[in-house]
Amino acid sequence: MAELISGRQLRRVATIGAVAAVVVLYLCMVGLVEAFKDRNVVTGVITLGAVMLLAVPLIAGYRAALPARDPSGPTPGPAQRIVFGLLVGLIAGAVLGVFVLIASAVDVRGVLVRISPPLLAFISFGLPSGLAQLAITGVGGLVGALGALLLVSPARIRNAVTSGLVAVLFMSMIEPLLRPRLEQLDYTAISDFLYKAHGLTEMASILCFVVGAGAALLWQPGNELVRRSIEAAPVQTRRRIRGWTIAVLVVAVLILPQVSGTFLAQVAVLVGLYLLLALGLNIVVGYAGLLDLGYVAFFAVGAYLTALLTSPDSSLGIGLPFFVALPIVMLGAGMTGLLIGAPVLRLRGDYLAIVTLGFGEIARVLFESDALRPWLGGVQGILGIPSPFPVRIDLQLGTTHIFATGPQVLYYPIFAFCALAAVFAYRLSNSRIGRAWNAMREDESVAEATGVSTVNYKLLAFALGATTGCLSGALFAVQLGSVFPGSFDVFVSITVLAVIILGGMGSIPGVILGAIVLIGLPELLREFVEYRILVYGAVLVAMMLLRPEGLIPNRGRQRELHEAESEEEEETLDGDLMPQRGQT
Amino acid sequence: MSSQPAVHGQSGPPAAQTPAERVLELNGVHTYYGNIHALKGVTMDVAPGEIVTLIGSNGAGKSTTLRTISGIERAREGTVRLNGRDITKMPAHEVVALGVGHAPEGRRVFSRMSVAENLDLGAFRRSGPDVATDLARVYDLFPRLKERRTQKAGTLSGGEQQMLAIGRALMTQPSVLLLDEPSMGLSPILTEQIFKIISEINDQGTTVLLVEQNALMALNVAQRGYVLQTGKIILSDTAANLAANEQVRQAYLGEI
Repeated sequence: MAELISGRQLRRVATIGAVAAVVVLYLCMVGLVEAFKDRNVVTGVITLGAVMLLAVPLIAGYRAALPARDPSGPTPGPAQRIVFGLLVGLIAGAVLGVFVLIASAVDVRGVLVRISPPLLAFISFGLPSGLAQLAITGVGGLVGALGALLLVSPARIRNAVTSGLVAVLFMSMIEPLLRPRLEQLDYTAISDFLYKAHGLTEMASILCFVVGAGAALLWQPGNELVRRSIEAAPVQTRRRIRGWTIAVLVVAVLILPQVSGTFLAQVAVLVGLYLLLALGLNIVVGYAGLLDLGYVAFFAVGAYLTALLTSPDSSLGIGLPFFVALPIVMLGAGMTGLLIGAPVLRLRGDYLAIVTLGFGEIARVLFESDALRPWLGGVQGILGIPSPFPVRIDLQLGTTHIFATGPQVLYYPIFAFCALAAVFAYRLSNSRIGRAWNAMREDESVAEATGVSTVNYKLLAFALGATTGCLSGALFAVQLGSVFPGSFDVFVSITVLAVIILGGMGSIPGVILGAIVLIGLPELLREFVEYRILVYGAVLVAMMLLRPEGLIPNRGRQRELHEAESEEEEETLDGDLMPQRGQT
Repeated sequence: MSSQPAVHGQSGPPAAQTPAERVLELNGVHTYYGNIHALKGVTMDVAPGEIVTLIGSNGAGKSTTLRTISGIERAREGTVRLNGRDITKMPAHEVVALGVGHAPEGRRVFSRMSVAENLDLGAFRRSGPDVATDLARVYDLFPRLKERRTQKAGTLSGGEQQMLAIGRALMTQPSVLLLDEPSMGLSPILTEQIFKIISEINDQGTTVLLVEQNALMALNVAQRGYVLQTGKIILSDTAANLAANEQVRQAYLGEI
């Protein structure tokens, strides 16, 4: 071994292998593998649980094959790197094998509830002890080596393979969405070709892989070509292309609930509600730099005010029409913003976060309390909120028949409010107010010394953030037809903050993408629901390590955070593995 | 080291003006940071058109004095008057509007904003055509800033950032410009350049209150000076007299 691998390299391989082993064991112990072991990715070939387990040695192998941070040692050749990957995979596999051996000999379920016999059988391929350990170790090594091979191979091939795999995974993930809809629309032939037993068929998976890989191969030159021809085009054409792109996007967004069916429309409604919240919180956190962890309070105030004013069953019992109530609700929420903002103005950073966290909880406790029960309904909440939007739309427009129910209808007002809030926020950020917030966020006392009244601008941020948040609350109340204090716990605040961080603070496209990724995707993976907070935590830690400025960053912020780029590159794969450990 | 510092303007007796003629007037100002008694009764004044310098060692309270004037810190006792008007209890953003331009210590520019945006923020409380005139004036004084007006302030060199901080303070159209350690961390050549520009700003009619650790340079450009020690003014005289003062020479000019 001495001539093949130096002492330092061996240490590095051992470390990465150990990390991979810990992650694999962790995935098994928290029950993620078990939860997904029956969900087919490619029916009869591989399940999501297996994909999850195999991804670990694959990434670890890739990581092990990366050049070491310390360049002083000899640079390993391709063959050597593949050996590194192999060793890392072997370590992870062997540890898992030993774990299975122990777990099947001793009853560990008293402590590790999730280690069930079916899980153990799943991991050991149904083989008897001994043989199973060999198989697990072997598969681990093989996959590790594959990961390394991926790194060693040329970038084009690497990209093609990765995107092919992602395409297969994606197509199988959207099965619960796509298949029922296809059958509903009478495309049974397509759905039968694509899916079998909730997973892709073998033929379909090959097709998906080829399409994904092909797209990746064509992407680079194609993208280059399109970009160059757009750049070469005269200004007028370019403007027209832009106009068309926007028009197509708008139309796509408008017909989405029609095409996708009720379930996706429901998901879109949820995404829209969170997007509104995120746009509001983005004003407070992203623009003004005030870390507010109690944002749910405004969501709750919006929902409760709407309920009080519009529901005939509420304590007020006045039953105002929704659009008459809305301005009052917004005003009320703005006042709440000022009320919460005023006492915490002198606090900065962490202290502000702690106090607002408290305010958020206070709001929930108040809504829940028995003392206020005659007015706010206590735990039972307020029922009978009428919806101002029709329950169903049944239209015959020429030859097209438009039929929409429930969320498919609600989608449109929510979308309109989101668009309004986004435009408002965008205009705000480029205004004098936006500049004042910018200055305040960067250096409060200097901002004050240039004439920015930080007190007023902080209050303004709180009030505007509150108003946007309450809009979401109002729509939420209308959507459910009732409000309960249970809907307004601290996780709403955390989730909205996570959306902003993931998307990119202060960036509106980022916030939109963040809402889609963080709210939309988990809805499509129902099995994840139990692990949602775990995954959020993992995603946030990974983001802080890999891309602290968010997915679509605000222009100014990106440069600042990427000064130490070269160092960060090395961290890349650690980031994927560490969050799971951090959750234990 | 030169022992004959040049003196600009007339070196009349200090504080000879009548109260109405003073731009800035501090009377027995006490400022605290929590329980720390930072300023223990500072009394000083600045007349129109002057450069007055406040010298003293580290922690003497020089920056605190400036921060108290501009309203970032609040005086617990005593009064601060600007053009005869009591501004002691006024919040910082209103003090700016009345004519105190503050270029804080350590080149605190808004590093993620462009040079032009920084200057623009200086004129945050103002509008109208004279903003453009002042911008042209700042770009005249600092041609480097004009060259780099689209660049992010954080990417400027130390000297350029200092210029930007001064330029931003000038954009507030101050009747008195407070400069806090403009030479800090700059090379001798840049320091000289900055001081030349300070004289130029003063020649154009802006009153300057200058805080410096580089006492020699400060006394060179100033007409009068105050020496601050542990929160108290221990000396006040013309710049020339201070530069010649035995005590000052020993303590601040590095002579034995």
